[in-house]
Amino acid sequence: MRKSVNRPPTPDVAENQEKEPTLQELINIELIESGEKERLMELLRERLIECGWKDEMKALCRAFIKKKGRNNVTVDDLVHVMTPKGRASVPDSVKAELLQRIRTFLVSAAL
Amino acid sequence: MSVPNEGNDMSSSSDAQLSSHVFGDLLDSIIVDVASECHRIAKLGLDRNFEEEEEELRLSAQARVRVADPSNSGEANSKYVVDIFGQNHPSVASEVFECMNCGRSIVAGRFAPHLEKCMGKGRKARLKVTRSSTAAQTRNSRGNSASTYSTYSNSNSTSRLSNGASGVAGEEYSNGALEEP
Repeated sequence: MRKSVNRPPTPDVAENQEKEPTLQELINIELIESGEKERLMELLRERLIECGWKDEMKALCRAFIKKKGRNNVTVDDLVHVMTPKGRASVPDSVKAELLQRIRTFLVSAAL
Repeated sequence: MSVPNEGNDMSSSSDAQLSSHVFGDLLDSIIVDVASECHRIAKLGLDRNFEEEEEELRLSAQARVRVADPSNSGEANSKYVVDIFGQNHPSVASEVFECMNCGRSIVAGRFAPHLEKCMGKGRKARLKVTRSSTAAQTRNSRGNSASTYSTYSNSNSTSRLSNGASGVAGEEYSNGALEEP
């Protein structure tokens, strides 16, 4: 049976310990540990639902599923279908609001 | 917009880069969530609008009603009006189709009152629990009609209907949290 999700193989533990964490990784850890990432995700989710972005994406998926057939679709297919249009169609106001909050967090985390 | 560090160009541009990266990360996670949701609905066959014939029947029924209307005004006897398909238009819409919310067959002329009961405007519908798996998470607040519809496929429409949108988003979150291993 075909797998629904294509996961890259888990990286070796020994490999990971030799690398220095990048700034982005450190920020990510700080975001997750403080709970801010979850809050940001919920905010973004809510905004995207309000502006109809989620419905657009679901319609895109439905169209793709209709074309390809219900049983041949994987989650990866849907992600690939949605990503280009999804990233481009986020309303500017939503993006600005989230970026503002992220920047505020970065400033406070750097102290 | 105020710029805090005007003297230090490097850090503000890498800040912007960092923020965009974080934003992209969040967006990717949400896209994966939506993809997995749609995938689930497709595989389980929960999307009742999936059959095209049904869509077309409904659309053509609507179109027939719309086309027949303007031609009605000039006619002496509206019962014998003919539409673009050469069909007679009955005075009460007698088309039977499936309600997209509960899946029952409904006569078009009775669809509006049916929707009232089905979607929660009526008093009795608020007490109805649609899915047993979410029954445990349904909060028993009396004024909150959105609480009965905490499943994925319905949460879109209820977040627009209800005033407490943050309440529904919170329930959506708790859905995800409970299902994670």
